[in-house]
Amino acid sequence: MSQATTAAAKPTTASAPQQGGKSVLGWVLHNVVWIWLIALVVIFGLFNEYFFTTFNLQNIMVQATVLGMIGLAVALPLLVAEIDLSLPANLGFSSAIGAMAYSDLGLPWLLAMLVGIAVATLIGFFNGLCITKLKMVSLIQTLSMMIILQGGLLALTQGRTITNLPDGYVWIGQAAIGGGWPVMPIVFVIALLAMAVLLRNTVLGRSIYAVGGNPVASNTAGIRVDRIKIITFTIAGFLAGVAGFLLASWQMAITSNQGSSYLLYAIAAPIIGGVSVFGGRGNIVGVLGGVLLLTVIQVGLAIISVPSFYVGMIGGFMIFIAVAIDAIRVRYFG
Amino acid sequence: MTAASARQSGEDPFIFRVENLSKRYGPTLALRDVSLGIRRGTIHGLLGENGAGKSTLVGLISGQRVPSGGTIYLDGRPIENVDVKQMEKAGVFLVTQEPMIIDHVTAAENLMLGIWPSRSGFVNWRKLRADASRMLEGTGIDPQAMAGRLDAVARRKLNILRAMFSGGKVIILDEPTAALTVEDRAHLFTFMRELKAQGVTFIFISHYNDEILEICDACSVLRDGALAGGAEDVGSLTSEQLSELVLGRGLVLFQRERSAFAGEEPAVRLRDVASDTIGVKAFDLRPGEIVGFTGLPGAGAKELARTIFGLAPTRSGTIAFGTQAPRPLPATPRDGFDMGIAFLSDDRHRDGLVAQMSIGENISLSSLSVVARAGFLRPEAEKLLSDRYFRAMGIKAAGPATVVDTLSGGNQQKVCLGRVLATKPRLLILDEPTRGIDIGVKQDVLRIIDELSRTGVSVIIVSTDTDEIVRVVDRVCVFEDGAIREEFSGEAISSERLRQGTKEKADG
Repeated sequence: MSQATTAAAKPTTASAPQQGGKSVLGWVLHNVVWIWLIALVVIFGLFNEYFFTTFNLQNIMVQATVLGMIGLAVALPLLVAEIDLSLPANLGFSSAIGAMAYSDLGLPWLLAMLVGIAVATLIGFFNGLCITKLKMVSLIQTLSMMIILQGGLLALTQGRTITNLPDGYVWIGQAAIGGGWPVMPIVFVIALLAMAVLLRNTVLGRSIYAVGGNPVASNTAGIRVDRIKIITFTIAGFLAGVAGFLLASWQMAITSNQGSSYLLYAIAAPIIGGVSVFGGRGNIVGVLGGVLLLTVIQVGLAIISVPSFYVGMIGGFMIFIAVAIDAIRVRYFG
Repeated sequence: MTAASARQSGEDPFIFRVENLSKRYGPTLALRDVSLGIRRGTIHGLLGENGAGKSTLVGLISGQRVPSGGTIYLDGRPIENVDVKQMEKAGVFLVTQEPMIIDHVTAAENLMLGIWPSRSGFVNWRKLRADASRMLEGTGIDPQAMAGRLDAVARRKLNILRAMFSGGKVIILDEPTAALTVEDRAHLFTFMRELKAQGVTFIFISHYNDEILEICDACSVLRDGALAGGAEDVGSLTSEQLSELVLGRGLVLFQRERSAFAGEEPAVRLRDVASDTIGVKAFDLRPGEIVGFTGLPGAGAKELARTIFGLAPTRSGTIAFGTQAPRPLPATPRDGFDMGIAFLSDDRHRDGLVAQMSIGENISLSSLSVVARAGFLRPEAEKLLSDRYFRAMGIKAAGPATVVDTLSGGNQQKVCLGRVLATKPRLLILDEPTRGIDIGVKQDVLRIIDELSRTGVSVIIVSTDTDEIVRVVDRVCVFEDGAIREEFSGEAISSERLRQGTKEKADG
């Protein structure tokens, strides 16, 4: 699947067979995220066999869903060589708007939820406008937007946690079918497929890669660069909104700092998965790999009972290894 | 530094010598057993087609890349552990095609970049200015001028001087004339001769035979990664012999058979085109006509070309195709393409290619809506389109799936040309279409343009290369102060006359 995507993986794999031993190393480095993922699964499993239970697998799937949705959202602006730091804050803020549209305005929960997602989408659209039409630098513009939204969430909730969510709203986060398999990851799978099709098979997707690869050339080639960027930020906002709904539905609560803890992981996941911060490179399979890797590290460290004081450090170290190996790959194999 | 080299000059006549230099990239041998020697205080030309191994050789001798085999000697001594630092310490400096200049600091500071005179870690500004002023004396460059405001020659001179001042004995100039006008080139050559008289040795890389014959003492030609030949004295070579060495066969320069367009109805009519830099009342093109735009930089040729396509803002202006009603000029390149105008930029790295995409993806980039239905790309349609132009352009690569980044300059230019032709334009605008590509590919490109015009497409070529213009156009417009000053057509077109035209303006 990845080879059909625009990324530069194609020629390397094509010429690999002639290079003998080097090709094996090249292949390993190219798939380092997935190999590292399997290695970690085995390691965690050896430490504690509970890791291999169905229940834990289900847990990982659920945990990966929210991170995956927000990771997909973050990947989009990265592909056009921009960044949106406000997405995790957008996630929290928009879910609170949705919840309050239900509790304070008395809208039916479904409509309220859609209002939340619409607000998230609009915020993404607004970010895109600022970055293209006002030529604001995305790093700072979205940083300020992040602070605004975090503050906005605190103001909306007055520091309290929203818990009076209706049954319909929390259904998707709690529902399970056939022996406890959660429903929520289905949303992530659908989003993954939709994004993969979007990036691979549509004019928009091709334009996203082109704009990220060389915005000046894209403009000269007749691509409406600003429009592509705005659309990208808007879709990212939409995905953050859906992620916000899923997180609230799963936790059955919206805290006054909902979503902020996702910021660094949401940025790390796509980058670990091979999405270039310089734009134009990366694919959905990679993002999935990054998301699963981070989730497995989080869940695994909890399961093997690493004392909580060390969890952050060890987790960070594991991410560091993945990124370092990837840097080595780029250096030697392009 | 000249004194030091003079002391050792006894035994080895060559200041710089490479022996059996090779470079392998994976399975391909980019450079094979190249041996050559460069005499002290000479200008040594290095020629070859795109992809002949010039860039590889330059990369090796400047220390940017590690050789797979062979030895580099400076002053008769082998250099071990070749890297950029090592080579610069030894006195070999590369002046790249894109001048390495920091725009927002002064010329003096640029000159001293990295070699700031300092006292206990603090920059000694007084000494810096004094040294820089002395270096820049007689070059016509104001040491206090912001580097961003300097013209192309001044920027290049600055780089050469910096290399010299850093202790450069051998200075490699990678296509230094690429963005220069004829006058600028003459200035640069005078400057090089002066430095040569002071004992500096140059390796001069160029695509142009006339430049090699004019400025170089000796030359070497690379072909297919190996040394194809050369001469200790370029005076013994003719331009034809040089081309034959480069190509491995005789070169037939392309010459268009001019047609007379008198009386034909115009296919394109431009009216009242005005912007901050240009003002053109009326300009018509006939179907299948090729018109050259030329003039000094800033005179309006390039500006008008970009304006017609929607790349530059306009105050007014209309365009009409055939008998259709006039419409305002396009506001964006997308509008330009939609109206049937296609534009090939002069800078394929900046605004021609998406480097990490494949040849095919680059070719279809301006025609995505044609190969898509309801926003979804149709892989078969796209493949058909990119295969077709891949073949029509004669791109040398394994296939349309090859990433463009790995292609030589000439092939990259063909990809760009393929992309704009794939939009099936009625008006094709080409800005310096043969800049930086070798003489063989150049003929291919001119031939493609000529064939296209036979199908009725009107073509505008912006070029400062007068020899090229006279061989491919039906009519030439010479620009001055944003307007067309004079026009030649048919037999009246000659490169002497064009040079005369631009020169008068330069003097006046």
